[in-house]
Amino acid sequence: MEKLAQIINKIRANKGNAEPVALTPQTRLREDLAFDSFDLAELTVHVEDAFGKDIFEDGVVDTIADVCKRLGI
Amino acid sequence: MPTDKPFLRDDGRVLTYAQLLGRVNATRDYVPVLKTGDLFLLAENFVRALATDSDLVLLDSDLTDTEIQSLQLDGVNEKAAVKNPRAFENLDALFAAIKASRSALTLFTSGTTGLPKKVTHWFSALLERARVKEGYDAHVWGLAYNPTHMAGLQVLLQVLLNRSGAVNLFGKPRQFVLEQIAHCAITHLSATPTFYRMLLPAPKTYPSVQRATFGGEKSDAALYEKIRALFPNAKVNNIYASTEGGALLASSGEFFKIPDALSDKIKITDGELLVHKDLLGQSQTFALAGDFYKTGDQVQFDESDPARFKFLGRKSSLLNVGGYKVNLEEVEDALRALAQVADARVYGKANSVLGNILCADIRLNEGASLEISELRTALSGRLQDFKIPRKISFVDSLQSTHTGKLKRT
Repeated sequence: MEKLAQIINKIRANKGNAEPVALTPQTRLREDLAFDSFDLAELTVHVEDAFGKDIFEDGVVDTIADVCKRLGI
Repeated sequence: MPTDKPFLRDDGRVLTYAQLLGRVNATRDYVPVLKTGDLFLLAENFVRALATDSDLVLLDSDLTDTEIQSLQLDGVNEKAAVKNPRAFENLDALFAAIKASRSALTLFTSGTTGLPKKVTHWFSALLERARVKEGYDAHVWGLAYNPTHMAGLQVLLQVLLNRSGAVNLFGKPRQFVLEQIAHCAITHLSATPTFYRMLLPAPKTYPSVQRATFGGEKSDAALYEKIRALFPNAKVNNIYASTEGGALLASSGEFFKIPDALSDKIKITDGELLVHKDLLGQSQTFALAGDFYKTGDQVQFDESDPARFKFLGRKSSLLNVGGYKVNLEEVEDALRALAQVADARVYGKANSVLGNILCADIRLNEGASLEISELRTALSGRLQDFKIPRKISFVDSLQSTHTGKLKRT
């Protein structure tokens, strides 16, 4: 979960959002973090590098809980 | 038709057909080279140009000054007199003029040589591809494509000619899109696979949608199934279109067939789709093989039915990222133009969200340092957002092929 938070905050920092956010399982990637499809694509790449899994491979994830479930963390 | 019927809706604003007529008649000027983020202004200028046979150049609203300079365009957003000034008594007169329009429309597409490619279409050729039928006025379209690109213009045209309605969804966040589909009872959607993927998973189904069309990039059968579940009353189909030639092929799944009427105009050679020049707009930069334009789109035949084929991807240095075509060389040039960068290699990596994600390996000058956020900021002044690499690695050396060219894959 900590690793995932690092990745997400890095993506936000790359977009110019310097303030890290605290994630909860209910945090929604699109609505709460304002991730667009390009940000989600960036997320899948970094998560795959770190965890070896494509979180969007067979379906679509919405919340941090969905991502964790997909990753088994 | 009631004249106060909505033509366009954008973020809570409404432009009715009666208001459109009023705006078109209000002045005899138009903007021949228009760059605007205001959809109503774009539509009004588009309609006034068409109805008065005036030529029009459309630019993306997020083009940077550097990109505009590279296109060598003068007079961006300057007014000029329309070609055949006249007032339109009513909507019928306006639409009759549009249908007889002799305007030329110029759009830009990602070029293969670095500069965006300028393509000019006779409006009459686009008109032929629009489908007009009684009863279509009840349609409500979701405008999910950029209205300055061929696909978006074709949606606008389809809406206008049938006097249907359209709701702007282009570049809007997912929650807004879903709310608008329900609230405006959208019946027709034409969008990229990336757009549809963004809608999933949705909290409910949307029965108002009658047709969901895919285009702009390669899609897959699994996504069609999910979209069929999201829009239970919709027919799902797939079109192949390009800025060069507009919508050319349609199918109900991932496999296409060349229709009989186009059998001498579209062919496949060495696994690449070729389109006859008669079907294209005018451009000095088309690479023609005889009378055919090599699209660079690679196809594979269906083993069980050799008349059917599906699209595999791009042959050239153009990469499809979420429905946008990115010229890898242009991005490499922009990276190399940064003071800290010694060299760069830009390539695509298959991605489950965008189809492809843009990646860059960058070698910095000795002693130079560059944060990714700084790099993104520097590029955003030079390139449109979709051309900015999202996976960036700083490397000591770049791979090259045996010919000395940068290796892309």
